[in-house]
Amino acid sequence: VAVSTRALVDGFRAIVGAAHATDDREARQRAAVDGVVPQIVLSPASTDQVAASVALAASETLAIVPRGSGSTLDQGLPAERADVVLDLRRLDRIVEYNPDDLTVTVEAGVTAGALAATLDRHAQFLAVDPPFAATRTLGGLAATNASGPRRARYGTLRDLLLGVRFVQADGVTTWGGSKVVKSVTGYDVPKLMVGALGTLGVITEMTLRLHARPDVERTSLVVMPDAAAAQRFSARVVDSVLQPGRLEVFDAAVLTALGVARQGVGVAVSFGSVAAAVNAETAALESMARIAGAGAATMDAEFWRRYERAWERVDGGALVTIGSLPTRVADTFEAVSHAASAIPGVDVRAGGSAMLGSFRVSVGRAAAVALGDFVRRLRGTVAAWGGHVMVQGASRDVRANVDPWGPVPADALALMRSIKQTFDPGRLLNPGRYVDGL
Amino acid sequence: VPLSPQFLEALRAIVGSEGLIVSDEGRMVYECDMHTFYKGAPDAVALPSTAAQVQAIVRLCRRDKVPVVPRGSGTGLIGGAMAARGGVMVGLNRMNAILEIDIPNRCATVQPGLINLWLTNAVRERGWFFAPDPSSQMVSSIGGNVATNAGGPHCLKHGITTNHVLGLEIVTGAGELVRLGDAVSDRPGYDLVGTAVGAEGTFGLVTAVTVRLMHAAEAVKTALASFSSMEMAAEAVSAIIAAGILPAALEMLDEVMIGAINAGVGAGYPEKSAAVLLIELDGPLAEVEAQAERAAEICRERGALDVRVARDDAERTLLWKGRKEAAGAVGRLAPTYLLQDAVVPRSKLPVIMRQMEEIAIRHNVLLANVFHAGDGNLHPLICYDDRDPDQLARAKAANEELLAAAIALGGSVTGEHGIGYDKAKNLPMQYADADLNFMYRLRGVFDPDRLMNPDKLLPSHPACGEGFRPERPVLPAGTWI
Repeated sequence: VAVSTRALVDGFRAIVGAAHATDDREARQRAAVDGVVPQIVLSPASTDQVAASVALAASETLAIVPRGSGSTLDQGLPAERADVVLDLRRLDRIVEYNPDDLTVTVEAGVTAGALAATLDRHAQFLAVDPPFAATRTLGGLAATNASGPRRARYGTLRDLLLGVRFVQADGVTTWGGSKVVKSVTGYDVPKLMVGALGTLGVITEMTLRLHARPDVERTSLVVMPDAAAAQRFSARVVDSVLQPGRLEVFDAAVLTALGVARQGVGVAVSFGSVAAAVNAETAALESMARIAGAGAATMDAEFWRRYERAWERVDGGALVTIGSLPTRVADTFEAVSHAASAIPGVDVRAGGSAMLGSFRVSVGRAAAVALGDFVRRLRGTVAAWGGHVMVQGASRDVRANVDPWGPVPADALALMRSIKQTFDPGRLLNPGRYVDGL
Repeated sequence: VPLSPQFLEALRAIVGSEGLIVSDEGRMVYECDMHTFYKGAPDAVALPSTAAQVQAIVRLCRRDKVPVVPRGSGTGLIGGAMAARGGVMVGLNRMNAILEIDIPNRCATVQPGLINLWLTNAVRERGWFFAPDPSSQMVSSIGGNVATNAGGPHCLKHGITTNHVLGLEIVTGAGELVRLGDAVSDRPGYDLVGTAVGAEGTFGLVTAVTVRLMHAAEAVKTALASFSSMEMAAEAVSAIIAAGILPAALEMLDEVMIGAINAGVGAGYPEKSAAVLLIELDGPLAEVEAQAERAAEICRERGALDVRVARDDAERTLLWKGRKEAAGAVGRLAPTYLLQDAVVPRSKLPVIMRQMEEIAIRHNVLLANVFHAGDGNLHPLICYDDRDPDQLARAKAANEELLAAAIALGGSVTGEHGIGYDKAKNLPMQYADADLNFMYRLRGVFDPDRLMNPDKLLPSHPACGEGFRPERPVLPAGTWI
């Protein structure tokens, strides 16, 4: 660093205000990322303040780690450097809500819960529901492309982010996309920002596509004897005129956590529509279940909240996602069981979308090396059909033991490297954390 | 600069004589797409039949710095498949096979030249379909749909092309054959597939596409409502959406269009109405019935003159027939037209309808409207006689003014047709220099020599190099400098 730390702190204070730039030792330690203690913690309150902060940091070649609620700071490879932590939670304004257009523009620090409360008054919602989204910021959800059961019908933030404002590594504020529900004007920059973990720019504002809440939503639970039967049943639902809003399959550990059964594989299907259609679709599902030799039980309104709690993170544990295929539901569960033999006695829960073949695995507390073995084994099995395993959250030791991203094909990786090199040649945005240590 | 005999020989060695067109009359066929205003014949047309040939062509062109222009069926509306600077046009029509249909995994992999509707035809009997349905779907290619990120009447509910693309195989402008994504969900790293869809051939050429298939709904219901003004119809559109109904399609036609369609197609749309709304719902039978009734009620509450619901497939087809043949029917009104594709926020439809009338009067041009009202995607056809230069000038002025009005309301330059050659100059209306600079550099990642479909998608800039100069933030004066 070319200038005195004191002068630098004064510079940041001139940008965000004295109260929102702290180099206090305790505050810095609390903001540490993977044990890397930043030199300063900034809480900007506007895109302009983010831009000026990034520009100043860049001029001093300081590494920047943007953060929202902090729930996924344990994602990715261990941070290499973290000189400036940009806490975006003061960017908490809902900038413009147009219920008639089913669009909303928010600052990146707005939590999904705060937005939901506003949208609820107009019977609308943002169809992004990864576990514990309510306390997470929308900027963080976009940067990690987090998704949940509703993805089967509505897609992920990739499909719902219409426009995005972000600050590039040199401090230049940039806008991509549009504020309307349909636009193909120029490159689809929002798609590039979703899931990029802030490595190409710091997201400060987003325009999102919303949906109307259905009149009625009802969930049925079918418990099948094993994963193969659950896969067959799900496939039958998918290859029918039924239009489930959510279709999740999950193992006995999740069933146990839900308190509904101790064995078997659960299939939860929800329908949302006008009452008559929900009745008809539920009846059709019940009859499909009967044909498959099982019963369908109607769940109460709290079911999905309980399902969410089944994915509560355990200290010292890990959260893993598996990219797989609908035809590999049973194989994927089998792969999880096989990998779990690396960590005997540890609670392992698996579940996910049977329509998409995307799964989530929660692993209880275990030694870092053992968790690394679990991931390696899992990867070894699902690779046979092109599956991917990503560690979404685990201690630094686990992520130092096993690459949390897994392999990226060489041709795609070369393009990714080139993109990173183009937009952040000094590697100042979240250095080292993204795929291949970008 | 015409291509050298050596270059043409090398090209012939790749695609064979039967895959190469160099004659004047042969090249003339390829001088424009559906935007016949812009013409630029390529110096040669290559018709490869494998990805390896595509790659060899790009590598050859890169070696000699020859522009490459991809082309599917040539049904684009933006001058995208036109050789603005000559060079080699690569027609992908021979690569039109369905490589794999995988219904259990809800996807199919196809070659880029495959006609959009052929894919649905191949899976319809099993109850499935490919959702993106541009009006050109009987002739347009899926590779072209990917390049332009095509929409269609039913994308209101089902999404545009990018929402249905899972994987791509492309030959980049650097001559690399890369496989991005596949049927497997959730892969690590940047969303290269999402970034490449809609790149209009400026990143390279698509040689294979893995797309999502959808299961057909239990029921489809189509209704037609007529109104005494466009504003009333526009308000009904907003009210339907506000009621929580998401129709599969929600299309609007104006008086001029209704007249042309009735005269040309005999669709039997209500005469003497100033606006017609076509409302299509799909989904579970009970939902469709309840929502069709509710939508009809809303239309009546908003002063609809008449609401009809198609009772069977034949009636439904007739209701759609007029809409689908609208562009052709306009031929009765004027020899040719400019087609605008701007978008406004749905709630601003009544405002833009008023402004459109004023613009038409001010420039003394005839406007015919047929558009995707549900997502605010305008499609005014600005009629003119190309033999009269004054008419053309007025049509162009009205077109630009309309676009400006849509942007001023918070809209977008293009909803589904794309930028191409036609609208490259308009991008700065929506994007600042910093935004364009970002896109310009993004393009460089895939096309380092700027040979892929030059002069399309991005405006050319008088300054070379980075072109668009973004503004850096002004830092407060301080001791650290």
